[in-house]
Amino acid sequence: MFVLRLLLITGLLLAAPVASMSAQEANAQSATIRVDGLSCPFCAYGLEKHLKKIAGVEGVEINMKSGKAIVRLKPDVRVDDAALKTAVKKAGFTARGITRQ
Amino acid sequence: MMMISQKSSSMMYWTCAVALLISLAAYADASMAGPITFNSALPVSDGMSILRSQVKLTRKSGDATPAGRVLNVTAAPVVLAYGASPKLALFGVLPYVDKRLDVTMGGVRIRRDAQGIGDALFFGRYTVIQVDRPGDTLRIAPFAGLKTPIGSHSQHDAFGLVPRILQPGSGSWDPFMGVALTRQTLDWEFDAAAKYRFNTGAAGFTFGDEARVDASFQYRVFPRTLESGGVPAFVYAVLESNLIWNGKNRSLGVTDPNSGGLTWNLAPGLQYVTDRFVLETAVQIPAVQNLNGTALESDWVWTAGFRWNFFF
Repeated sequence: MFVLRLLLITGLLLAAPVASMSAQEANAQSATIRVDGLSCPFCAYGLEKHLKKIAGVEGVEINMKSGKAIVRLKPDVRVDDAALKTAVKKAGFTARGITRQ
Repeated sequence: MMMISQKSSSMMYWTCAVALLISLAAYADASMAGPITFNSALPVSDGMSILRSQVKLTRKSGDATPAGRVLNVTAAPVVLAYGASPKLALFGVLPYVDKRLDVTMGGVRIRRDAQGIGDALFFGRYTVIQVDRPGDTLRIAPFAGLKTPIGSHSQHDAFGLVPRILQPGSGSWDPFMGVALTRQTLDWEFDAAAKYRFNTGAAGFTFGDEARVDASFQYRVFPRTLESGGVPAFVYAVLESNLIWNGKNRSLGVTDPNSGGLTWNLAPGLQYVTDRFVLETAVQIPAVQNLNGTALESDWVWTAGFRWNFFF
């Protein structure tokens, strides 16, 4: 019984951050991606197009100076980090970090 | 056009070679809007296409013989690039050419000319090294391809069969390979490419092989400082270098001593770069020409063009 309770508590503790991250991903209205390798306007277009192709992405704003792409997300549509990273990779760049607001 | 002595020309070659090696080494830390006078370092993202068109005007003269040859070439190559994957880009190049040779024959000034679609190039480029940092990228990508005999090599004019150097096409299948490097930052970009083309023959004529090392440095002159938001248009001041060696041509097994040689061009230029298109122009001016026999020297090559990126 003790072992079962221990397993249950451990399971809940492990699942909590994942559930919290999923909720954060689901509730976020925008995601800011730090894009490494972005250094000319002509290359920014491919990045914008790939990000806009993702279902749930409402709009994209790229900031050349800071090397960040700010992705506006549709409400109640979940867009996970993996999809954003894949889009950045397809555009030929490297996604270093994603923060949600 | 500048003639120099044998001793000083050999010093110049070494200076050029050292400068290019230093440039290549320094390149391991630069970025990309793309060079003007060569194609092979164009960036293409997955599924994106780039259409590039140029007009090139070339004038060659300096003929030391009584023939007083003057060659004017107008070429309009169209390049289509496609990103097959984030690392693999495929290119096709189809040029239209108009060649006119003014020459004195028997005391009379005549013109030989030929026009039409030239030989098409197809090649692939695969990125093997990609180092991305904030506002900075380094790419190294080997490429290989084939020049295909699309253009005619048997045009006639009022004087008979037009000489092979004037024909729009070579008639031969010519493989080529090389490597391209790009380093790009928000402030500047450096591209370099080394390439060798093995020319095969057709109808008894073989153009000499070609080896070239190209380098391009682009520096952002506008805007001087970047605003905090958006994707502004950039204006780059450009300086390019083309070191080109051509082997001697062979006709019916006989080597033409008045063909081939070494040329080093410098090309200042300007680029206007937005997120959808690029406008560009450059003038290639020969700094060194060490050509064989009475081969015609290049006076200048003027290039103007645009690039437009799109998704199908």
